[in-house]
Amino acid sequence: MSVVGKAIPHESAAAHAAGQSLFIDDIPPARNELFVDVVGSPVAHGRLRRIDTDAARAVAGVVGVFDHSHIPGHNAIGPVVKDEHLLVETTADFLGDPVVLVAATSREALAAARRMVRIEMDELPPVFTIEQAIAKRQFLGPPRIIERGDVSAALRGAEFTLSGELQVGGQDHFYLESQAAIAYPQEGGAMVVHSSTQHPTEVQQTIAEVLGLPFNAVTVLCRRMGGGFGGKETQAAQPAAFAAMVARLTGRPARVVYSKDDDMRITGKRHPFMGRYRVAFTRAGLITGLSLELYSNGGCSTDLSLAVLERAMLHADNAYFIPHFRVIGQVCKTNLPSNTAFRGFGGPQGVVNIENVIEQIAMRLGIDALDVRERNLYGARSRGAGRLDSDSWLPTDNGDGNGDGWSNGTAREDDRVGALEGLTTPYGQIIGNNVLPDLIGRLRKEADYDWRRQEIAAFNARSRTQVKGLALTPVKFGISFTKQHMNQANALVNLYTDGTVLVTTGATEMGQGVYTRIRQLVADELGVSYDAVRIGTTDTSKNNNTSPSAASATTDLNGAAAVNACQALRARLAEFAAQQIFNDPAAGLAPSPSHVTFAQGEVFDARRPDRRLPFGDLVMQAHLHRVNLGERGFYATPGVDFNRDTGKGTPFLYYTNGAAAAEVLIDRFTGELTTTRVDLVMDAGVPLNPGIDRGQIVGGFVQGMGWVTTEELKYGPGGELLSHSPTTYKIPNIGDLPATFNVSFFGNPDCSVSLRRSKALGEPPLLLAISVWAAVKNAIAHVHPTGAAQLALPATPEEILTRLTGAPSPDLWSPEEPTPLPAQLRP
Amino acid sequence: MRDHVLLFINGRRHEVRGAAVFAPLSSFLRYELEKTGTKVVCAEGDCGACAVLVGRATADGAIRYEPVTSCIAIVGQFDLAHVVTVEGLRRNGHPHAVPEAIVANHATQCGFCTPGFVVSLCGLLNEHPSPTEGDVRAALIGNLCRCTGYQSIVEAGTRVDHRNLRKLDELYPPPAMLEEMAVRAVDDVRVEDGGRFFFKPATVESAVAFRAQHPGCTILAGGTDVGVQVNKGTREMRDVLLLGALPGLRTIASGEDHLTVGAGATLTDLERATREGYPELYPMLTRHGSPLIRNAGTLAGNVANGSPIGDALPALYVLNAEIELARGATPSPGAPGERRGEGSPLTQRRINIHEFFTGYKRTVMTPEELITAIHIPRLGREEILRVYKVSKRRDLDISSFTAAVWLRRSGETIADVRIAYGGVGPNIVRLPRTEAMLRGQVIGEALFGRAGVVARTEITPISDVRGSTDYRLQLAENILLKFYFDLVSGANSAMVGAGQES
Repeated sequence: MSVVGKAIPHESAAAHAAGQSLFIDDIPPARNELFVDVVGSPVAHGRLRRIDTDAARAVAGVVGVFDHSHIPGHNAIGPVVKDEHLLVETTADFLGDPVVLVAATSREALAAARRMVRIEMDELPPVFTIEQAIAKRQFLGPPRIIERGDVSAALRGAEFTLSGELQVGGQDHFYLESQAAIAYPQEGGAMVVHSSTQHPTEVQQTIAEVLGLPFNAVTVLCRRMGGGFGGKETQAAQPAAFAAMVARLTGRPARVVYSKDDDMRITGKRHPFMGRYRVAFTRAGLITGLSLELYSNGGCSTDLSLAVLERAMLHADNAYFIPHFRVIGQVCKTNLPSNTAFRGFGGPQGVVNIENVIEQIAMRLGIDALDVRERNLYGARSRGAGRLDSDSWLPTDNGDGNGDGWSNGTAREDDRVGALEGLTTPYGQIIGNNVLPDLIGRLRKEADYDWRRQEIAAFNARSRTQVKGLALTPVKFGISFTKQHMNQANALVNLYTDGTVLVTTGATEMGQGVYTRIRQLVADELGVSYDAVRIGTTDTSKNNNTSPSAASATTDLNGAAAVNACQALRARLAEFAAQQIFNDPAAGLAPSPSHVTFAQGEVFDARRPDRRLPFGDLVMQAHLHRVNLGERGFYATPGVDFNRDTGKGTPFLYYTNGAAAAEVLIDRFTGELTTTRVDLVMDAGVPLNPGIDRGQIVGGFVQGMGWVTTEELKYGPGGELLSHSPTTYKIPNIGDLPATFNVSFFGNPDCSVSLRRSKALGEPPLLLAISVWAAVKNAIAHVHPTGAAQLALPATPEEILTRLTGAPSPDLWSPEEPTPLPAQLRP
Repeated sequence: MRDHVLLFINGRRHEVRGAAVFAPLSSFLRYELEKTGTKVVCAEGDCGACAVLVGRATADGAIRYEPVTSCIAIVGQFDLAHVVTVEGLRRNGHPHAVPEAIVANHATQCGFCTPGFVVSLCGLLNEHPSPTEGDVRAALIGNLCRCTGYQSIVEAGTRVDHRNLRKLDELYPPPAMLEEMAVRAVDDVRVEDGGRFFFKPATVESAVAFRAQHPGCTILAGGTDVGVQVNKGTREMRDVLLLGALPGLRTIASGEDHLTVGAGATLTDLERATREGYPELYPMLTRHGSPLIRNAGTLAGNVANGSPIGDALPALYVLNAEIELARGATPSPGAPGERRGEGSPLTQRRINIHEFFTGYKRTVMTPEELITAIHIPRLGREEILRVYKVSKRRDLDISSFTAAVWLRRSGETIADVRIAYGGVGPNIVRLPRTEAMLRGQVIGEALFGRAGVVARTEITPISDVRGSTDYRLQLAENILLKFYFDLVSGANSAMVGAGQES
């Protein structure tokens, strides 16, 4: 009986609910342990003139105050490009950029001493916004392009064109456990560090470089995180390095635990984006060409910004076939904390741009946005990718009375059986197992979309005080790291002679349930109970050179590695059992490993199922016969590759799909917004754990709702984050959960390339919250279409009221000419 | 006079002295007692990860448990209370039905917020064993979760197996604790720590006496604002006078003409009292902070704090509420309006709220005085009150803008009107010109539209993290039209916000 596919509770659920789970700051302080914190730059951009730490050193209980000059190894760090400093050496790049570390024997002494540190800087002019960075041509990395067809020609020959700009805000991760680490110095200069990190290997390597140690002298462990969401992929490294540096310099254990305010002020966030589009389309809403420029605010250093931009560009088509397509991307360098990974990793910013374009097209043509979406879906029809004479595909009135020119039956089915080019992305990947047309059709029915659109129009015509909107948006999210080498994982599976199993992998547990899923997979592979399997703390000394828990692919990669290890162990045990246990010449049974069966904690020869051996007994027997009872599994995702220079390749193993229909209610006097109903259908393949999977879907969606509605990063004139704690930064709370929220799985047994035909779910549901933003846009369009066109993200009450009352928009991008290519990209 | 704070934690008796009395309860639990199930995220009462249940003796001889945030309350505030942490819900090896429901419904992911949710849910279920979805949502407004999206938590809350739910009185039989609470309630508590004092008076008289001796002391009721300031380093905790627990001040008297709210009455007390007894004020209270905050904070604290975005203030303005102040009877020349009760050691005065504030967070209170009560006039016949709060997030958010409109109609004519706005200046402002143009006019949409335009001219709001000048001006204009539509439809959707169709 398989445990995969069962809704088993999260492996730590009982401990969480009893308050027994240990997070970093719950670990009792060791004897002599020091409390460490940072003091940062008082200006957003400046040259370091002087540090005065005398008063801080004089505080009773202060053991040390350290700056860049005390760093034993390198100060230059960075996950991709070494363009960051651990501690400010010459120039501070953002407000709060760490300059000094204070170490004290108590939290009280630490707090007192931090206030005594004086840092003097010579201020340099700062840059904070995308617009400022573009004006100063301050970029990180080269411009990037993904292109297909001839967009300029498509725009010239179009029946209709539209152009515009979309401002997309950032988002703080707001993991509840702020960044934290404890470092324990070891003999011979080695270091053991407990870190709240999605990427223990990154932390290990950073610490080794900062301390001037070989990688094998640093061990990083992570039992769990109190949330990660991408914020602990690269940026857990700095606090862990601070702890390790103090531990090294003092010889005492050292603990760094950021306050929520400091965490929000000095760590990176989701990248704000600015998109400029020109789109060509037909009278029926078929998109013939799209030109999109995406600028992201990368903050002060590269971090993962290039990969985030890349994923935004790879998702700028979302679910739509656009024959002539060009997206240009550029990361802007500003004096803000370096923006970083965040659930979706640029995907949401790419997708919201195209969904905005679709709402604009629907408004322009006066047709339903969902009709526009369905007509443009990959696989919704066939047509020549190179042709601009759009009439040639447009069906004539088919007499079904709905006047949309589409028959609801076979004619459309025939269209769908089209050439592969209708299933090919601008970067050249052919979409397999494409379920979106069916999935959206099902949701359209189940959510009563068409009836509700009519009801809403009637309500809006009637109500003087409120306005409603409804939108249904899809997502097609590519699964795999776009950097090929990261698509690998290893796992260590140890069998003990009592029949229990211990598994460790590079996967880190941040609530997403990866430990639970791997336990399920391993139990199934070995035919033992879920309870017989334990997942060990993630530990770089057990699993080396690991990829971060990111890109939704953690179970896919680490689970597959663990399964591979189990299969090797099982084969070895089967061989042993066949030869030594079930070998029964008297019964005429020749040894046959292929008949050895592992099920429900027992082992038997399928030819004699009555003779069964407990799994533990077999393991003990194998041990006595000197059989190797540990195995290291390895997995590398086959067939993925992407050339970022040409913008072509097959970056993804598969796509996770879904769609959501969201209805909103807006107070016309205050702009206050309520999401009243959400219907969501998700293609999870064959779910590994429907309970945990549903939690990922709902949790991701609500987190996305925060991004598109209430979560607003507000800065003061000096670059100071004004919304740096939950009092001023508003993530959704329980009152924001839609009163009606229907979630269902789209049964899809056909994803043959993935682990047990499951699909990754970590990030894709977040992008479905774009339906809420689109619904707001739809609502505003009922009152004030030009205001709706200017709606930015997040749609806060203030933003909504501004658009409802039709305040003029600042400097709309002039749409007259197609944007010239940046010089670097010109042929 | 007692020289220590006496409290019970998960049934165990603790005597606390020295600096620990001034420490946040969450720090005491986590770092002194190593009860790390209680988490701290924001240290400002806005996330609920630190929630604990606080049981206090009630007048009818029981212990009533309510969840509060332990990060912004100091240990001294829990004198004679029984604190139950998430660890304390598991007794004698028996798991509790609430954590079991959390597990069974997949209502925990990373787990960092979970203890707080468990505590808040236990607080609800201890009172209402079979809550509705609405009850669960209302009880959990103060708990933030970043992983689950809340749906599974709501399901857990409504699916707790109440047959296996052990009440806190079963886990912790009250008699022994109650007896000590009763006996020690007559103590003044005075704890010294390096030259500063924590003082918890047993009577108003000893309170004003301490206040007179320590005029610069921090007055704590629920501490929901002071605790934040101390945690964020904008205020130092020196001498503390704890008023919250004073039995004589935790009363709400419902009179013919007034509702008199004692300075120690929590906002939850007031919420209960107004649900039936003053329904026009009730919606405002349901959006004031969260249950975790309302279980500690007081109306008097909201007034004394004097923030221009205090949710309660605009209503108190348009109702002409009066603030009752008391000080020790000293021979000094009294402040205006003072009277001395016969044989009472107290000198008291009542100040109309319009005269109470003198500037941003500044009031007429002298350093010897305390707020003892707030008198809120009742609505007369033909009088209407609507209170509005606009915030980025509907629940548990500090207002961008608040408004209260009081109106007496005479048929279709406005006999009298008072309008107060918050969040548009350093203090709550009344709108005299807008009021004047409305008075005597026939109620109509165009009239309120014009009034909104005038209202804009009477305020000079600033731009800050909660809203721009333009936004606040637009709200100032629109809210009067919103009031008009409420008036003609009879709706009281005001504080409920945009959540329901009107």
